[in-house]
Amino acid sequence: MLVISKTKIKYIGLLAFGLIVAILYYFINPSFNFFPRCPLYATTGIYCPGCGSQRALHDFLHLDIRGVLGHNVLFLFGILVFTYHFSIKILNTYFKKGYQNILYHRKTPIIILVVVIGYWILRNIPIYPFNLLAPD
Amino acid sequence: MSSPPKNYLVESILVTVFCCLPFGIAGIVFASQVNSKFASGDIDGANQASADAKKWMKWGIIAWAILAVLYLIFLFGLGGMAMMNAGDF
Repeated sequence: MLVISKTKIKYIGLLAFGLIVAILYYFINPSFNFFPRCPLYATTGIYCPGCGSQRALHDFLHLDIRGVLGHNVLFLFGILVFTYHFSIKILNTYFKKGYQNILYHRKTPIIILVVVIGYWILRNIPIYPFNLLAPD
Repeated sequence: MSSPPKNYLVESILVTVFCCLPFGIAGIVFASQVNSKFASGDIDGANQASADAKKWMKWGIIAWAILAVLYLIFLFGLGGMAMMNAGDF
């Protein structure tokens, strides 16, 4: 009983936090405002795999998928993985399905690691077509 | 067959994209260990890797919170007055 209510509190807390962040990023465009910049980019000028994700979040909340892709392709990938994971979880828990979660396949994390590192390298190459991956 | 311990892969990816790259990368590495160790029957190793993945995820979130708080202090301490005077945000 206690365990259940604790998990519930955790999820309600996460939901509330997500809502606040969403409202904040919906109304304020990080391009022109006082949001923090990526520390790595600010100090070295190198884009990390997360650079542009604040602007991508703003675009995403305005359903501007082209903007999301322009700022951070990995952001869309993250959203897709997140949606997939929780869809499977909800289906398996509440609808008693037995779907295999691909994220628990032994090769999946390695592939994702390679994608992240590869993305990191490619988006720092200042030549077309790689510079499309860099946030504008 | 029992189910594998939680591998925190989704959380690690989110940490990587939204904030703290090194923590997220470490989390992904441990997530990979959870899966491979569980697949080869090393349940204890998988549980250990799961705990490690959770630890890195937690530190990623803590690092994010610290950065956010520091940034807010910086913002209100130094930029607050100037911004109010500029009034264009």
